[in-house]
Amino acid sequence: MRNKKVHIFILFILGAVIGASLYFAYPFMDSIDLGLDLRGGTQIVLKPTQEDIDEVTEESIEQAMFIIRERIDALGVSEPLITRDYTNNIVIQLPGVKDPDRAMEVIGRTAQLEFRILESIDPQTGEAELGPVLMTGDKLASAQAGYDPTGRIVVTMNFTSEGQQEFAEITAQNVGEQLAIVLDGEIQSAPVIRQAITGDAVIEGIGSLADANDVALVLRTGALPVDLSIEENITVGPTLGRDALTGGLYAGAIGLILIAAFMVVYYRGLGLISVINLLLYIIIFWGVLASLGAALTLPGIAGIILTIGMAVDANVIIFERIKEEIHKEKTARTSISQGFKHGLRTIVDSNITTLITAGALYRFGTGPVRGFAVTLAIGVVISMLTSLVFSRTIIYMLAGFRRVATPQFLGVWKRRGLS
Amino acid sequence: MILRDTNFNFVGRKKIWYLVSMAVILMGVIGFFARGGFNLGIDFLGGSMLEVQFDQDVEVGQVREVMEDIGFGGAILQRTASDQYIIRTTTRDVETKNMILDALDDNLGIQRPPLQDRNVMPGFGRLITRLALIAVGISIMGILIYVWIRFEFRFGAAAIVALFHDVLITLGIYAIFFREINTATIAALLTIIGYSLNDTIVVFDRIRENTSDASKMGYANMVNKSINKTLSRSINTSLTTLTPVIILLFIGSTALQDFALALLVGILSGTYSSIFIASQVLVSWNNRFPKFKK
Repeated sequence: MRNKKVHIFILFILGAVIGASLYFAYPFMDSIDLGLDLRGGTQIVLKPTQEDIDEVTEESIEQAMFIIRERIDALGVSEPLITRDYTNNIVIQLPGVKDPDRAMEVIGRTAQLEFRILESIDPQTGEAELGPVLMTGDKLASAQAGYDPTGRIVVTMNFTSEGQQEFAEITAQNVGEQLAIVLDGEIQSAPVIRQAITGDAVIEGIGSLADANDVALVLRTGALPVDLSIEENITVGPTLGRDALTGGLYAGAIGLILIAAFMVVYYRGLGLISVINLLLYIIIFWGVLASLGAALTLPGIAGIILTIGMAVDANVIIFERIKEEIHKEKTARTSISQGFKHGLRTIVDSNITTLITAGALYRFGTGPVRGFAVTLAIGVVISMLTSLVFSRTIIYMLAGFRRVATPQFLGVWKRRGLS
Repeated sequence: MILRDTNFNFVGRKKIWYLVSMAVILMGVIGFFARGGFNLGIDFLGGSMLEVQFDQDVEVGQVREVMEDIGFGGAILQRTASDQYIIRTTTRDVETKNMILDALDDNLGIQRPPLQDRNVMPGFGRLITRLALIAVGISIMGILIYVWIRFEFRFGAAAIVALFHDVLITLGIYAIFFREINTATIAALLTIIGYSLNDTIVVFDRIRENTSDASKMGYANMVNKSINKTLSRSINTSLTTLTPVIILLFIGSTALQDFALALLVGILSGTYSSIFIASQVLVSWNNRFPKFKK
């Protein structure tokens, strides 16, 4: 058995951990980031759909994410979270979005702007024959929506100085032709070039000012380097998540009280230690979750609920072992050290299998399921630590006192076996 | 102590336990075919769902009528509260969504925006399904290898049998009651795998520790003794784990209740299988390929 100084040192370290956890976990409800499914908001999953798969590179996805961020900022949506999963899908979370449908429209748009000569229109099918691409949208300096002098809705595009020069050359060479302005494969307008244009270009024929604003926004932020399609979109209202959160917290709290009652009745003194252990577990768990900045999701709540029950398991294994040793007529001290010695291996083995599962869930899971994996893994590790460090130290320390280290305290009801 | 020094004969009746488990699994299989497969959610199949809060209580028939009028007679309706419904349709665009919401609002009165709006492309659903299967596969492989390293191959094999047992029973319950299976269900299933193993390993650990007794009392008796010695732990841990899960089943939101159901079935099955299946498979294995005295 280790000496008193070591025990006090361990408790000191533990106290520091708990202090740090309380620091991170305070204030209780605001310290944790809530996932979209709990706080409400929109999640969009975008998948690159380029025909030529070579074009979808790490770099192009990064660049697309950068452009998307600019578009979201331009929309004025707060706290966007843009991540990429390992299948190269871009996952966008927008907690504060007001108009999810518009956000989706703006974010997913490739915004490939092309200037081409309209050569002819098939009179039967109405299909346009377009010449080669003369210029693209990458030489735009900015774009604004507004009205032209005749009151029509237009998007005015300002070129960079280089673009201005190039546009003037193109228009000078093609006087009398129709210049098609093509956005994402669709001809927006095709005015006849009357003379070389040295100033701005305009897009006409847009239905509403809101649409024109969106077009201007995507032109300003530039074209996405890859085509993206919306594979999944979820919008959750704030009430649904709030109900889930309160339900989960109540279930956790009631569960906790019932478990505590059971442990104290069944294991007595040891049970009391396990209840304190469980409270410490929850404080440290909350602190770790807050300090990691991991978001709490709906399945994450289920994960917490599950780990509360599992957290006492390590204690149950050890307590049962201690009782068994007491029944073998061993002293309280020996029983305790034997209980921990035998219990340790079981606890580690049984928890590692849960960690393997959590790892697989994290690697291959999506969205909320990942949140579940994180809470499960954190829960397993912390419950092992608290029961093997806290419970163990306290029980060893108490075992030093004759009055405490009785079979009754260790949960054995009949007075027997203490030599 | 209530469960101190028990000496139940678990091993002697192992054929009964095998039959009980097979019967439950068979019921699940029958349920599966009778229902024409699982009730897979849009996570896997693709499609759309709207969760709508009505201004007052409405009956399924009323909602169905409105949906039929606008050409969505095939929509799946699920009542989550007396004035809340989940409406599932095939994948649709924003205009169609607004048409559905307008029709419901005009006829029955709903709150806007809806509680939940979700759209999954079928291709994405297939990807999710594939990833879920990979996750299950990797988990099982990882666990088998771990148990094999820490114990022996036969322990790993027996643990995997118990694990499949628990997953099959849980899936069977989902088939029989035609509960929706979604990504959260898969997460729950994987957790069950972890929990079931956790339970099994505690018993196995004791069997490993007592292996030396096998030469005296025989392998079957040694296993039986080990099960009895760990019985009160198995039951107590199941109780403490089940307590919050059961509470969640009653007071949680719809999504949490789904999760809690999977966990409830899995925990019960996991506790059962660690005692009545995993350990018995070890005995059967030793009977077939004797390494220790029977």
